[in-house]
Amino acid sequence: MDIKKIDWIIFLLLILLMISGVIAIYSASTSKIGDEFLTWNFYLKQLIWVFISLLFLFVLLKLPMPVIDLMIIPVYIITIIFLILVLFLPEIKGSHRWIFLGPVNFQPSELAKLVTILFVAKLISKPYITEWQILLRSFAVVLLPVILILLEPDLGTALTLMISLFAMLLFSGLPVFFLILIISPVLSIITSFSLPVFLIYILILLFLLYKTRLSLVAIGFAGVLNAFIFFITPVIWNGLKTYQQNRILSFIDPMRDPLGAGYQIIQSKIAIGSGNIFGKGFLMGTQKNLNFLPEHHTDFIFSVIGEEFGFFGCLIILVLFFVFLMRMMKGINKLKRPGMKYAGMGILSYLTFQVFVNIGMNIGIVPTTGIPLPFISYGGSNLLINVISVGIILKYLKERSIFE
Amino acid sequence: MPNNKLLSKIPFYGIALIFIILIVSLFKLQVVQGEDYKQIAEENYVRIKNIQPVRGEILDREYRPIAINKPSYNLYIILGKIREKDKVIDFVSRNFAIEKEKIKETIYQNRFRLYQEIRLVQNIDYEKLIAISEQLNYFSSLFFKTETRREYLYPNHFTGYVGRIDEQEFSKLKDKGYSINSMLGKSGLEKYYEEMLAGKSGYEILQVDAAGNNLQFFKHNLEKKPENGESLILTIDNELQEYISSIFPGKAKGCIVVSDIKNGEILAYISKPDFDQNIFGNNLSTDDWNKILQDPSKPMLDRVIHGTYPPGSVYKPVMAFLGLEENVIDKKTKLTKCDGGMQFGDRYFKCWWEKGHGRLNVVDAIKQSCDVFFYDLSTRFTLEQINNYTKKNKLCVRTGIDLPGERAGFFPTKDWYKQNYGRYISITGQKVNIAIGQGEVLVTPLQICSFYAAIGNDGIWKQPHFLLKTVEHQKNTTFKQEYLPVNREHLELIQKSLYKVVNEQYGTGTAAGVYGVKVYGKTGSAENHMGKETHAWFTGYAEWEEPEIAFVVFLENAGHGGSAAAPLARKIVKFYDWMMKER
Repeated sequence: MDIKKIDWIIFLLLILLMISGVIAIYSASTSKIGDEFLTWNFYLKQLIWVFISLLFLFVLLKLPMPVIDLMIIPVYIITIIFLILVLFLPEIKGSHRWIFLGPVNFQPSELAKLVTILFVAKLISKPYITEWQILLRSFAVVLLPVILILLEPDLGTALTLMISLFAMLLFSGLPVFFLILIISPVLSIITSFSLPVFLIYILILLFLLYKTRLSLVAIGFAGVLNAFIFFITPVIWNGLKTYQQNRILSFIDPMRDPLGAGYQIIQSKIAIGSGNIFGKGFLMGTQKNLNFLPEHHTDFIFSVIGEEFGFFGCLIILVLFFVFLMRMMKGINKLKRPGMKYAGMGILSYLTFQVFVNIGMNIGIVPTTGIPLPFISYGGSNLLINVISVGIILKYLKERSIFE
Repeated sequence: MPNNKLLSKIPFYGIALIFIILIVSLFKLQVVQGEDYKQIAEENYVRIKNIQPVRGEILDREYRPIAINKPSYNLYIILGKIREKDKVIDFVSRNFAIEKEKIKETIYQNRFRLYQEIRLVQNIDYEKLIAISEQLNYFSSLFFKTETRREYLYPNHFTGYVGRIDEQEFSKLKDKGYSINSMLGKSGLEKYYEEMLAGKSGYEILQVDAAGNNLQFFKHNLEKKPENGESLILTIDNELQEYISSIFPGKAKGCIVVSDIKNGEILAYISKPDFDQNIFGNNLSTDDWNKILQDPSKPMLDRVIHGTYPPGSVYKPVMAFLGLEENVIDKKTKLTKCDGGMQFGDRYFKCWWEKGHGRLNVVDAIKQSCDVFFYDLSTRFTLEQINNYTKKNKLCVRTGIDLPGERAGFFPTKDWYKQNYGRYISITGQKVNIAIGQGEVLVTPLQICSFYAAIGNDGIWKQPHFLLKTVEHQKNTTFKQEYLPVNREHLELIQKSLYKVVNEQYGTGTAAGVYGVKVYGKTGSAENHMGKETHAWFTGYAEWEEPEIAFVVFLENAGHGGSAAAPLARKIVKFYDWMMKER
């Protein structure tokens, strides 16, 4: 291992973020009655996961690249098996997401995010490949995990995976019309509830495709496909059970179910807002004890930071994330090997997406998704996979010198 | 790769844009609106208020109250608002006579529910309320709420009682509409029909500031109305219940059940000694609770379904049925002569009537309750045969009544004897005892009542039950029915013998006879291991145009069934007769 080539700044920022996480979790699991403090031990568990993740990181950095490369496909297959397996295990709070191994819970969907991106990157980086092949191969690899994750159901993670795929395709230089084609079915579903809106949209779509000089046959095909989706969506929607419909609607508009997600968001806003500029002080937050604790040391951990450390504290965390992500981005941009660049972009986009969606949800500008804040939210699987992802980027950045 | 420059710029602008959006939003939230949010947080303007549902009431068949809801003043605390913990604990302990340790424990258990209302004291006197309401103003964490509490109009063992939900129950039930302050049925019908009685909690989201202005965080769906519980109409007749309770001998221990023969409805259900269930609503102290638990007369024991006792002679009809069905005897067969007992092998088994009954047929053997007849009969069957047949008659098995914790009783097997008494135990010696309802066989008084009801009901066994209908639904619930393994001819033979027990000279149950009513019955005087007086049984049914009610009277250690229990049955039948004529 050539120590000089590891980007220490990224590593340092990673450590800082993880430490912030442990501190925030400590506070989130503490309540104050009169002058007494009582704490649960979540922060200890998180600390253990921090060490485990760093261990994995070091191992990863030591492994030779070809070994990692070879592991991708087998790990992908194992992940698919786990994703199928998890659907048959008992539900927790209405979804099948975890596999229980004694004291440790493991989320296969987290692993799926990373390994799918690596697999897709591998496939679409092969030379002499046509754009259609890029599209088809990436879809083939992504479709199965996305469907399995949607069945859990875990909309948030499925969405994250789709966004990463989109980012990767964007950077592979796929022509614009392909990207339009990819998004079009989703837009068709959304607009299928209103005929005039749909008609306007389809006209714009066809016009854009024409402009990009796609063949008339292809345009016709796209038109027919989207029209089909327009008709079939209401049918599928009516076929869903009420509780499933409610889930989807709550996802779009959390205020529909004020007692559930909507209430959480309002309380989160109040908590963050009440922190003012300098916050109420470490362990002095009161709003964190309003709701059920589990949410507070996972998805809503940022609201604890906002309440206790104020605008100042939030700014520090944001700056840490900003520099962290930017530095990785700059490094990835300089990578010459396509495979590494695409994988890097995929990983970067899902890290950024998660940061934006989680903090946005805490502030109330993004609907609730069940996406944790990377490196800070409580959760072993999430932390481990995210650290490994950063590890992969560090490794790519280290290796690039060989190929320059 | 085409468009290199452009592509590499997109992530930069993308990430930058994202962070700008976040920082601006945070600025707006924390700096611009910071003070507003601070106040909202401090004063708790946005919160969920839990709305307790009204619990269904329990009424008798004529809609007269048995368990109802009464208003109650309750003291609540919000832990997050405590400023001086010791002062609060002291105040509550002094004024409401609660041990400080108990209060501390409640606080500890709820330490992660800092902003939920936690009930500390229930059912406070109105006078007390007025007296301390001014002092209460000094404690921002304490406040009163007017809610309901349960009142039981008379002590009984079938309604059971409600109590505070505990942590274990709450963790299982919180998704079903229960709050940490909910009351839950802990025993009896309150527990068995908890789901129907409890209803579901509702909630209200409050979002008003001190001036009453709506903060408008939420646009709609601010309230979910609670679903109130369903009230139950029982098969019990309060008038009969009250009468029987009053004629139950003073310090006696035992029970009485009266049921409707045609459908198994329970008309009266008494177990004594009893206790007033209302004590649970008044913040029972640990000492008082222990006093009841350790009372040797066991007032909390429901002797009807939780007490298991040797049936004694009331078991004899089962043997009679078995003998007739298997053609071992017929209506004329006379078995071994009873000369105060009978010799079998190298042992002499005594009959309770020392002078001896002579040789009897089955009808007379039941009428006079001769033991020897049944000793002899028992030797013709294996223990297993007797075991199976007994259970087919719904004895030594649960009836499935709608109460929790019903016991099945016990019937021994050969293996059981070998395990407990060694390999060389003589099964025959045990069988002989069992044939007269002694030895290890144990039944509950309810099983006996239902069995005799079935005899009076042409062999149709009806599952005993309390629920007649619910107030809203007005539909009848369905319960089981089975058939006794006896044919009509044999059934009528034994019915005849039961009639003779009460209405002919030398019958053991003549003290139960009532003028103008046909009373059928069987006495029992069960020996028990304690070496004390025998348990007194009297069970049977009463017929006017047709058989109408069945009953069992059971008195622990009270002596002979004919002298101690039968007279009570007489009073009950007489009263019922009068009651029905009055209506």
